[in-house]
Amino acid sequence: MNAPRNSNNSPRNPRWSRRDFLIRSTLVGAGALSLPAFLAACGDDDGGSSSDTSGGGSKKLTFDNWPAYIDEETVAEFRAATGIDLRYLESYNDNNEYFAKVQPVLSKGNKIDADILAPTYWMAARYVQLGWAQKLPLDAIPNKANLRGDLVGPNWDKNGEYSLPWQTGTAGIAYNISATGREIRSVSELFNPEFKGRVGMLTEMRDTIGLILMGENIDPSSITTFDDAAPAFEKLAKAKADKQIRQFTGNDYMDDLSSGNFAVCVGWSGDILQLAKDNPDVRFVIPEEGGTSWYDSMIWVTGSENADSVAQWMNYVYDPVNAAKIAVGTGYMTPVEGVREVLEAMGGDEAEMANDVLLFPDDETLSRLRVFASLSEEEEAKFDEEFSKITGA
Amino acid sequence: MTRLLRLKTAGNTPEVSGLIVLLVLSAGVILIATEIAAGIGAVVVGVIMAIALIAYAAVVVKGNPETRRAVAPYGLMKPGILWLSIFFLAPLWALLVMSLSSKESRFDFFPSFSWEWENYSEAFTRFRPQFVRSFLYAGIATVLTILVGFPVAYVIAFRGGKYRMVLLGLVVIPFFTSYLIRTLAWTTLMNDNGPVMSVLETLRLVQVFEWLHIVDNGRLLSTPAAVIGGLTYNFLPFMILPIYVSLEKIDTRLVDAAMDLYSSGSSAFRKVVLPLAVPGIFAGSLLVFIPASGDFVNAQFLGGPNTTMIGNSIQDQYLKQLNYPIASAMSFVLMVIITIGVLVYTKFMGTEELA
Repeated sequence: MNAPRNSNNSPRNPRWSRRDFLIRSTLVGAGALSLPAFLAACGDDDGGSSSDTSGGGSKKLTFDNWPAYIDEETVAEFRAATGIDLRYLESYNDNNEYFAKVQPVLSKGNKIDADILAPTYWMAARYVQLGWAQKLPLDAIPNKANLRGDLVGPNWDKNGEYSLPWQTGTAGIAYNISATGREIRSVSELFNPEFKGRVGMLTEMRDTIGLILMGENIDPSSITTFDDAAPAFEKLAKAKADKQIRQFTGNDYMDDLSSGNFAVCVGWSGDILQLAKDNPDVRFVIPEEGGTSWYDSMIWVTGSENADSVAQWMNYVYDPVNAAKIAVGTGYMTPVEGVREVLEAMGGDEAEMANDVLLFPDDETLSRLRVFASLSEEEEAKFDEEFSKITGA
Repeated sequence: MTRLLRLKTAGNTPEVSGLIVLLVLSAGVILIATEIAAGIGAVVVGVIMAIALIAYAAVVVKGNPETRRAVAPYGLMKPGILWLSIFFLAPLWALLVMSLSSKESRFDFFPSFSWEWENYSEAFTRFRPQFVRSFLYAGIATVLTILVGFPVAYVIAFRGGKYRMVLLGLVVIPFFTSYLIRTLAWTTLMNDNGPVMSVLETLRLVQVFEWLHIVDNGRLLSTPAAVIGGLTYNFLPFMILPIYVSLEKIDTRLVDAAMDLYSSGSSAFRKVVLPLAVPGIFAGSLLVFIPASGDFVNAQFLGGPNTTMIGNSIQDQYLKQLNYPIASAMSFVLMVIITIGVLVYTKFMGTEELA
């Protein structure tokens, strides 16, 4: 009874899925003009929300999350348990896209419709650095103590005051064994001439570059300047020039991998776990050199006044029993300690999930995972620019 | 314009004032639409526009028939000109201003105007491969659509008989499906393990196609040939239909007459049919080349990292890098190059309709 997760819409970074593409191409043009005004208008109409925080009857909360990133029951149960009118929206399709959407509103100091957003960690850092995240009411979130320590207080938010994790996952190497003919274990296989023209890379810079850095024995969590990561960029540029790389993809890598167009590619753990159910040839490995891990954060966006509801929501989802439901529903790694024990106690399929290394990485696995370093604004711009030069766009 | 000159020389004031009202109204629309005149400025511009309109109405109502006749054309032009002002000139102006702006920081959402000509030099230098590729691919695709489209249009026009309309319908029917879906369908067909490749392999033609540079290292997708093929396929009807229209108008007795004068079949085609079809080929190649050079869907789905076109770069700069000034400069350069290309082409093709 696992994961009703729509893998095509799985919550991640700037993936260029087909649906996004359609939505973007039509909406961005028109939306860029009308959206700011629309959002501003929406934001203004609950001006009386300050009274909500006083603990009255109709408390409100809006959470803009990625599609299919929660189980089916938690929202309703939270509403029933707290009486908070939670609007759970799945309008967060892409980090950069969402940022482009809210930027005009937030940069003017206006309110957007949502209280909580779920940007990926590096994008969360941007929100925090731009001052678009509010200090969380941590005192009202005692369950914060249940969180995995390594996911709280990243270097851009040292005390974990502005962001807390939502879910987390891994980027590693995905391969189709019918195309490779053998198991793949190393990052160097991405550059093996044997697979010329059949290698896929992600348009998500941090996952692709991060993995190549691991292959070069450079720790992606410790880089600070572009020069530190330059070897990976050079290697990628050369591979592209040699036609080693077939395509830089968003989520569509799953089709190419399944059909054998990609023999080897950079992929995300959760996607491949899903895909492997239909196509057992598709495998995922955290390479010998190690992989990158990412997580999506929850931030309390500026302009929102529903502090109490925000705290109650975060406290609720950090309860191991509730977190276990979400983990089972999404198939992603939970940031909450104790979920594994809850699943083991449940028995059956859930107990089996408790033993999956990709869902509950053991210490050995965790020691091989790195989070891409957070970059200063100028450095990030440089990385993005250099990366987009290579991807050819 | 000739009419306008005639009016001026005649010193005909009602007509000149009609023109002035038209210009004032469109300028006002542009000023307000581009937010150059905002707040109180917008009110002032609005009042000026209202006064001009009222004055115009007064002339129409009170003036003698002679005057009315003189100003009427400008009244009739107003809807069209104002439409163009709002939906073409104002956005164009905004694009131009944006392309000369600079951002103070990366996430500065409102780049400020600063005569930033470097945007243009960067657009030229950094994205030169994409520009070259776009025009090359679009050019090849245009030639291919002519080579494929002309025979099709010819057969439908001259040999279609009572099935003409059915055949034309068959040309158009695939295009009832979304552009995107059709392009994605090609990726399924041309998969490494897909039907097209397996037919080629069975017929042992892979080597031949490798030699022709259509297949690269055992794959059809992610090659320039795939992108050009996609462009050709997607824009083919825009070539067939105009050529069909110009062929369909040809009086077949002209060919008979040429034959009577001892012309061979091929020279009759060369000297009679082809020249009469030139306007169709001309219109078709504009309809194909212009959108094809700005296209990014085919390069996105059928191409690889070495086949990206300028459309992909503009899209990336706008939506991922959030670098609106550069993206605007690139769009502007693209428009200018296409405009110049079209003018030169018009000159060479010598058709008068579009000159």
